[in-house]
Amino acid sequence: MQATETVKLLLGIGEPLIGRLLTYDALGMRFREVRLRRDPKCPLCGSAPSIKDLTIHRNGAVGTCETSPDGHGEGVAAGVAPNAGG
Amino acid sequence: MKTLKEMLAEARQVVPEAGPAELAERLAAGEKLAVIDVRDPDEFRDGHLEVATNISRGFLEFRVGTAVTDPSTPIVLYCQTGLRSMLAAKALKDLGYGTVINLQGGYQKWVQSGLPTVKEVPLTTDQIQRYSRHFLLPQVGDKGQRKLLRSKVLLIGAGGLGSPTALYLAAAGVGTLGLMDGDTVDITNLQRQILHTTADIGKPKVESGTRTLKALNPDVNVIPLPTRITVDNVMDTIKGYDLVVDGSDNFETRYLVNDACYLAGKTNVHGSIFQFEGMATVFAPGQGPCYRCLYPTPPPPGLVPS
Repeated sequence: MQATETVKLLLGIGEPLIGRLLTYDALGMRFREVRLRRDPKCPLCGSAPSIKDLTIHRNGAVGTCETSPDGHGEGVAAGVAPNAGG
Repeated sequence: MKTLKEMLAEARQVVPEAGPAELAERLAAGEKLAVIDVRDPDEFRDGHLEVATNISRGFLEFRVGTAVTDPSTPIVLYCQTGLRSMLAAKALKDLGYGTVINLQGGYQKWVQSGLPTVKEVPLTTDQIQRYSRHFLLPQVGDKGQRKLLRSKVLLIGAGGLGSPTALYLAAAGVGTLGLMDGDTVDITNLQRQILHTTADIGKPKVESGTRTLKALNPDVNVIPLPTRITVDNVMDTIKGYDLVVDGSDNFETRYLVNDACYLAGKTNVHGSIFQFEGMATVFAPGQGPCYRCLYPTPPPPGLVPS
């Protein structure tokens, strides 16, 4: 999948997975597509970015803060909206 | 009888011109333009615009339909100095093509403006056979194959995700593959990391990976990078590549690769796998979200196994 996407991007053909997350469940043998939105508050690519270089990676902290254990899941919920066609 | 001067003046009335800088800008912005080089094949081979398709002036009316399938796509024509293509553009206007633009000053001015060109390197007999199935695909063709052979891709990780990706890219004839991984091959890797074999246990993954990829396709220039990607080497490493494939196995690296690719304007083909579930997406700076839009904060250490 990554190889096909790479070749498409290099050649400028087809519709690459930009703004789309494709998930694959091997046990259920199901693919699902989730539309991804750009987060305007993203610390990197948002409208007022706080990350402007790689300094954040120097002290071992990769994120902005340590939140609740489900911070990971919250992020997904905030950033994505299920694709109608699912 | 019309003089050449009169014919050119007549053509200029219906054919707008764009200078090299304007055309370069429009192409960089992703505008859909069909660029046709109307010079003779030997002139084209010596150097041309990367996006251009070569249809010599004499064949233009016969072959333009195959190069431009949608007549509403704006067509840009160029020749050496911009005169032949001006008359050719007028001929296309007469055929009914809506927007036909002439590259002002032609290829010569493009080169003088310091804009990039590519030289047609003849494919070897072996390459013609090896990639013959690509030539049959209209979206790839001879032109696409040459583009792949000129492309440079950095693979971060030569493990479960990097292995199949690297094999497919090498087979497809992506000309340069940087293979970055600081690990050595362990017997527990072999059930999924198909770049490596039993005899490679204990060897650096980039060493066995390079050997496997070269054996598959000797056309590919594999650059082994036997080190882990870090904040200190990431910017220097990615800058020489057209695109980055993230096949890493931990969040720290994913955030690092994401941030570096965004800052350097490189597209990041992201993939991850956990047990029976996998996911893939593409982070293209300026065109869509990044990894931090998807996961604003990393999971606390220990919560998610890598």
